[in-house]
Amino acid sequence: MFNKYRLNFVFLLFSIFLLVIFSDLFALQILDNEENAQQIKNQNFEVFYIPAARGEIYDINGNKLAISDLEPYLFLNLRKINDDNKNIYVQLLQFNFKDITTSEIDEFFKTSDVFTKIINLSEYNADIRLRILNYEAFEVFNLPTRTYPYSELFSHAIGYVGKPNKDEQNDYPNSINNETVGKTGLERYYENTISGIASEVIVQNGNIVEIKPSVPGRDIQLVLNTETQNIVKESLQEGITLANKNFETINLIERGAVVVQKIDTGEIVSMVSLPDFDPNQFVLGISEFDFKQLNRTKAFNNFAIQGLYPPGSVFKVVAYWLALNEGIFPETALNAQDYIDCEGSLSFGFDDGSKQVYQDWKSDGHGKVNLSQAMKQSCNVYFWDIALKIWRTFGNTDSEALLQDYSKQLGFSSLSNIDLPFEKEGVVPDRELFEEWTISRPELVRPEGWLGGDLMNLIIGQGAITTTPVQVSNAYRTLLTGKKSAPFVSPESPNGNIENINISDEFVQFLLNDLNLVTNPGGTAYRSFQIMGDQIFDIGGKTGTAQNSGELNNTSWFVGVDSISNPMYIVVTVVEEGGSGSAVAAPISRRIIQHLRESELTPVEFGEITE
Amino acid sequence: MINRKITLLGPEGTNIYVIFQYLIFNVISWFTLFNITSELSFNLENILVRQIIFTILGLFVFFFFTYIPISNIVSLSTVLMVSSTILLLGVLFTEESLGARRRYDLGIFDFQPSEFTKVIFVIFIANALSMKSNNIFTIGLVITNLLLIYIQPDLGTTVILILLVLFLFFLTDVKIKNLAAFSLLIFVLFFVLLEFNLVNTFQIERITDFYSNEVKDFSQQQSRLQISLGGFLGENLSNTSNIDIFVPVQTTDFIFSSYSKSFGFLGCVVLLSFWAIFGLRVYSLITKTDSNFEKFLLSGFIILLYLQIFINLATVLGLIPLTGDPFPLLSLGGSSIIAISSIFGIINRIFIENNLVI
Repeated sequence: MFNKYRLNFVFLLFSIFLLVIFSDLFALQILDNEENAQQIKNQNFEVFYIPAARGEIYDINGNKLAISDLEPYLFLNLRKINDDNKNIYVQLLQFNFKDITTSEIDEFFKTSDVFTKIINLSEYNADIRLRILNYEAFEVFNLPTRTYPYSELFSHAIGYVGKPNKDEQNDYPNSINNETVGKTGLERYYENTISGIASEVIVQNGNIVEIKPSVPGRDIQLVLNTETQNIVKESLQEGITLANKNFETINLIERGAVVVQKIDTGEIVSMVSLPDFDPNQFVLGISEFDFKQLNRTKAFNNFAIQGLYPPGSVFKVVAYWLALNEGIFPETALNAQDYIDCEGSLSFGFDDGSKQVYQDWKSDGHGKVNLSQAMKQSCNVYFWDIALKIWRTFGNTDSEALLQDYSKQLGFSSLSNIDLPFEKEGVVPDRELFEEWTISRPELVRPEGWLGGDLMNLIIGQGAITTTPVQVSNAYRTLLTGKKSAPFVSPESPNGNIENINISDEFVQFLLNDLNLVTNPGGTAYRSFQIMGDQIFDIGGKTGTAQNSGELNNTSWFVGVDSISNPMYIVVTVVEEGGSGSAVAAPISRRIIQHLRESELTPVEFGEITE
Repeated sequence: MINRKITLLGPEGTNIYVIFQYLIFNVISWFTLFNITSELSFNLENILVRQIIFTILGLFVFFFFTYIPISNIVSLSTVLMVSSTILLLGVLFTEESLGARRRYDLGIFDFQPSEFTKVIFVIFIANALSMKSNNIFTIGLVITNLLLIYIQPDLGTTVILILLVLFLFFLTDVKIKNLAAFSLLIFVLFFVLLEFNLVNTFQIERITDFYSNEVKDFSQQQSRLQISLGGFLGENLSNTSNIDIFVPVQTTDFIFSSYSKSFGFLGCVVLLSFWAIFGLRVYSLITKTDSNFEKFLLSGFIILLYLQIFINLATVLGLIPLTGDPFPLLSLGGSSIIAISSIFGIINRIFIENNLVI
């Protein structure tokens, strides 16, 4: 039963508590008010921040790609230094640390902070530490140091850290007290996850009254594979060296990028961009000279996501898909199997009476070609015929941008949303863009505006179109799976949205077979893959050689698939000014595919010049 | 059961006093938080905006419970207790933050199940006492919940819940002798746990340090000074020059010291009087209702709220060691507000069922 008298007792007890609290509040707020206010004014608090350790970064096998080590540093508490004892401390520093110069010691006493950083103690023996800590103005705090054990290997994917500027301080408030922010790569993209909260040392009248511990940042797991990354970088370097030997170019060939993407998930197994840099240089501060030199070679650009190149023939796959999906083939062909005659050039007229002749890269022609043969031999005439058909059927109507719509569906001209910052999106030109450019960038377009010739250029990946290697890789992946999603370097990527694209299994099989023809005898990449023997019948790819304006050498492209029977990886290789795709990019990709298929690695050899 | 007319403010209206008292506490919290941030930007990071959103959610919860007949709550008490156990078990598998596993991370805000366990505890024990059920299942559930909160670790909440159980037992006709023996048993059990190293020594050290050292905890020292700054009228009314003072966790555990600084001794008297009046209103309801369950339930709620207030005040004033308990409806924190809104909603329902709407 409920006992009401005891409830009265509880209420009485609570009333007593309340009275005690009121009396204490009264004493504090009314009686001691002024005395305490004065005490607060004398408090003189200062806060000193000690950066928190950043989260570490692991590759798929648990290898550490970025490490945070805590190392003891000696600090001097300047609030405890006065004219009387300053000399003692100067002498202590001179005696114990011979490396510190007199002018450096002078600098220590000039800062307005509570503590000034003297030196990393981990290089000195414990005796010095014990001896020196007897003096009350010395303090030891642990500071985190970022190291990248693989140096250049992951420079673009992981990025580097540095001191935050004003904008970065606004965007990432933790970076103010940490005095560090991710500048590029994953260090930037996952800054909020990876950075911790700095420790606070609260100092009153020179004495430490409280130390709030730091909250370390969270570790990040990646899907990158260090072993593959090594092979990819080696292969790309070998390929670039060979290209320089075999071509007379006005510029040194030094830039290129490779993306290796897993087909089923879209994860990035390897991403290399050359030239690269050592992110460790930034940890202790890089000299202006070194920085400028790296900047001149564009070493800070991750060409895999920022390099904008016309894709050349690797783009033909878009028209290939369009042709089969819409049933649009050259005028004289009824279906994909029908042959047309390629005589090495195409002359054609437009409604306005103008006539033009386009030359294929192979001047004596490819002979009889159907869709599969056109892919295999990279025949331009066949695809120009498709472009003409589109132009003649839909030109100047609402459906005119058919090819552009197909490219956009595969992700061209929009960000792939990979979990890396500063990605570029490129362009797929159409009538609207040309009209916009006549106003904003008139140097890029002719006064006539968008013409059939522009569409013919576009279909073979030439002209105003620009793409990044990662876009190309993701587009091929979409065609092989029917799924469009953002590629990712870490499973923590926030862009997990998957869009289903209507692609039949029949089409995938057809495409794989035709990609296979490219590495088979008669295909443009046969010479580069020949060395793999019978395995070439299970490998596929597409070469691309994109013309550049002026004197510049062509951009070398190759998109490879590691297996036809069980496709697992897509390898996209680009060498800027690297010349023919079949000669340079194809053999680089071949060596990477050898690694992915776990077969014997053979050196990169210069292939056949086609296109 | 009597069929009740449903109106906008609940069945046959809503007790005007309860809803106004609820809103006054919330608005006081807004003003306090505004004094702390002194900025109002409309994003979810802003603590004032967050608190206002929590109040709105709290109002929904308040009316939700206003529509639930007390008889339904009685029949649900075991289900509630079991779900509390599951939530407390689940929280042990979440990621550790600040040395404890207490909350589920739901993106824009955290969900802290122990706040709801407090409310469910009162319902469950009030039901058990009024039914006089003392089977193993009942006792087992209570002890499991206590242990689960204890190992989070959350000593503050564990102590509040143990005191709550003892107070509620005290309100039955149980012999004082037995209750004293029971309390002694808990005390002994605690030392046995200590002996077997099952107690987090960090927490014990905090307690022993507190009573042995002359030097008080830094944040509590600062908090006392901040309270003192308020004077009689508080900073807002007396126009004294603002003195900045460093106090940690100002918006949650130490919000009362910010409140005192802003509103002074007068403000403290007003706020605590509101709570005292609220207690007396509920006291009169306890004497009016015939249902034993309602008597225990109302007493339990009042004891729970007062315990939280006293423990928070004692912490802020530096009378007891740091516990980390929030001040009801004043501290920033969604789980706490929602849980206390449900208490106010149930109390409101009991007022209505006893035909008290003003």
